Amino acid sequence: MNRRSTHLLTAGAALAVTALTLSACSGGEGTGDGGGDAAYPSEDITLIVQAAAGGGSDLTSRALANELEPILDTSIVVENRPGASGSTAMQYVADQEPDGYTIGFVPVEIAMLGHQNFDVDPADYDFLGQIMLAPGVLVVPADSPYETLDDFVQAAQSQELSVANSGAGSIWEAAALGLADETGAQLTPVPFDGGAPALAAAVGGQVDAAVAGSGEVSAAVAEDQVRALAIFHSERHPDLPDTPTAAEEGYELEFGGWGGIYAPAGLPDDVRSTLESSIEEAATSDGFVETVTASGALPVYKSSSEFTEFVSSEYERFGQILGNG
Amino acid sequence: MNVISDGLVPLLDVTVVVCLLAGLLVGTFVGLFPGITGSMAVALAAGFTLTLEPVQGLAVLLTIYVGANYGDRIPSILVNTPGTPAAIATTLDGYPMAKQGKAGLALVASSFVTTAGILVSMAVFLVAARPIAQFALEFGPSEMFALVVFGLTVMISISSKSILKGVIAGIVGLAIATVGRDPVTGDERFVFGVNELNSGLPFIAVIIGLFGIAELFDQLVTHREHLVRPISSLGRWWPNRREIRQMGKPFALGSVIGTFVGIVPAAGGDIAGLIGWDRAKRMSKEPEKFGKGSLEGLTAADTSSSATLGGSLTTTMALGIPGDSVMAVMIGSMVIWGLQPGPSLFSNSPDLVITIAAIMIIATLLSLLISLVRMRGMVRLLDLPQHYLWAGILVFCAVGTYTTTNSMYTVWVMLASGVVGLVMKRTGFPAGPVVLGLLLGPLAEANLRRALLIDGPASLVTQPISAVLLVLALVGLATPLVARVRASRRREPRAEEAHVTSGRGR
Repeated sequence: MNRRSTHLLTAGAALAVTALTLSACSGGEGTGDGGGDAAYPSEDITLIVQAAAGGGSDLTSRALANELEPILDTSIVVENRPGASGSTAMQYVADQEPDGYTIGFVPVEIAMLGHQNFDVDPADYDFLGQIMLAPGVLVVPADSPYETLDDFVQAAQSQELSVANSGAGSIWEAAALGLADETGAQLTPVPFDGGAPALAAAVGGQVDAAVAGSGEVSAAVAEDQVRALAIFHSERHPDLPDTPTAAEEGYELEFGGWGGIYAPAGLPDDVRSTLESSIEEAATSDGFVETVTASGALPVYKSSSEFTEFVSSEYERFGQILGNG
Repeated sequence: MNVISDGLVPLLDVTVVVCLLAGLLVGTFVGLFPGITGSMAVALAAGFTLTLEPVQGLAVLLTIYVGANYGDRIPSILVNTPGTPAAIATTLDGYPMAKQGKAGLALVASSFVTTAGILVSMAVFLVAARPIAQFALEFGPSEMFALVVFGLTVMISISSKSILKGVIAGIVGLAIATVGRDPVTGDERFVFGVNELNSGLPFIAVIIGLFGIAELFDQLVTHREHLVRPISSLGRWWPNRREIRQMGKPFALGSVIGTFVGIVPAAGGDIAGLIGWDRAKRMSKEPEKFGKGSLEGLTAADTSSSATLGGSLTTTMALGIPGDSVMAVMIGSMVIWGLQPGPSLFSNSPDLVITIAAIMIIATLLSLLISLVRMRGMVRLLDLPQHYLWAGILVFCAVGTYTTTNSMYTVWVMLASGVVGLVMKRTGFPAGPVVLGLLLGPLAEANLRRALLIDGPASLVTQPISAVLLVLALVGLATPLVARVRASRRREPRAEEAHVTSGRGR
């Protein structure tokens, strides 16, 4: 055998082995039969996160996993499957065996993507509980002429105002659209690549306003880099005590970046109830509440049935806002 | 003085020293591993460091950030594969240098200018963070668009052999950058029902494929006994006096450009490296050597991509706005620790600012030390039989790429890009412009669209910063073309010949 073919062979063999190994990893089916024999959980649980490591969803998921491990007495492996606005992870979860060994963090986008041409349907999942909520906040540059939500809406009725948000198809874009729908204001949503640049555009005065999550804006509000006009939630936020709710200002609007835990639809009853109670315990534990609070979000817990109902009402609501109702 | 000692004392703790070393180790390996970027590593480490004390945690995260900037130069120089996107420009001259038997010189010079670049930018951070950070706020969508357009003119420089082929490659890059969801309306573009394509082609997989895997395929397919083994020795390590003098100008240029680009939010080492390299080429006495193993080119690329560190840190700490993707993760962690970056950080806790700067500087010096010590290891590595080395690199790249999304899809994209890269190599199309188009295209498009939504087209030319940058871009585009036309008029026959042999110089 000449040298050249040796090289090709070695490289080819190495690549084939790697590809096979990685395929086995990515397949996820290799986790064993999972059902029946032993009491659930008898092996590691994988928690799928739809965003890359380091973001808010990832942090919340890891904090929850830390609390869930001792409760379920098993290891929780947090796996990031970012891409395509989170739909990659959602489709992956829907395709897994409903045996309780694959669960996932489910963001508000589950109620929106189906209306935006993504193949995502809430009916494909069992929703096990809501674990957090980051209400949306409308902020304007520090030197903006608008002092209240009403000022802003009034002004936007005679001229077009730009509102930055974290991305096309994001919850904060929908919030701006929803506000425009409700009030007849002329708002131009300007999508940025994430919440931080959207907020920066408001700080720098490049846009008339921005909508972002409570955790993203509270520091900038405290530093007087921006002024918060209203929070889209039923009550005021502890980090933003001076910011009125939209309802206080006369606009009954709520928008939040909520998150919960889901699994592929069709979990066995015993597995489902074990997961539900464990998630409730973890989501209301001191450690988890502390992490979520520190990140500026609210540790809002909803039980599986409340959450399921909430998701379907959000799904309908966004269908109307996003124009596919 | 009190503030300085208050800031330094926490670093004397043994646990902090352990954290520094751990971060350094992780950072170096992360950089070395193509596909795994500094931001991924910092993000993953952030999950663990949340339970630590803030200073310990910062020691781990910041040293990973710094360390990755050294590790990633190694695969760029030795195997033409950028360890992280920040080292893309390193490949332009680093790999040709290695092929000429000057790998040792390239590695050592790269380590020193990377160190010096970070230190200069950290000096700027310490002296003038707050006033300079205000500049970042001036960068809205129109300014960002103009900066990116300016960056796109680099395309002309990196296609030195044939401008036509370079521009074609660049346009292909821009075209494939449009795959995915529209940045403003969210409509699908060229997705063809493949869900993964909704977020566009995975950038990291494509660069590893076009640069590294293509090179590897090329080696595998053409290997002949009589051909010179690509990189069999490191050669001498230290630059001589003449070379040190050569490095002066590109270094100065690189540190200014890098710090500036670092300050601009969302622009990092990848863009800075390319712009720095391009500017140095235009100002060099020997521009023709750029891309063929120029020490000046390597110096400019590595200085400017590393000087972004101090610039990013400035924007992040003084404004609370992330200067790059690593800093976005860093802010998240700091908030959980109860430390809020932003204007009041400097007035309320100046000691913490000193601590952060000290960690960065210590990490930089330690990284330099490690990168010199490990040179011996590099020698051993290159002594491996070539077929094991190549197979090893292929496996490394596949695993690294896989980790970016945890799915085989990115690995297939990497391999396919490798095949495309091989074909391009054989037909004389440079890979650099494709990557440039893919990197800058989405930024240009999204920012242009935002600027148009907010103010309409006028803002692009009425805003002073964007107007200046756009004029610079025009000048940048025109000068090499004019120069080339003039040169070809002067010596018609030789220019013809240069076109014919524009394939890969072997």
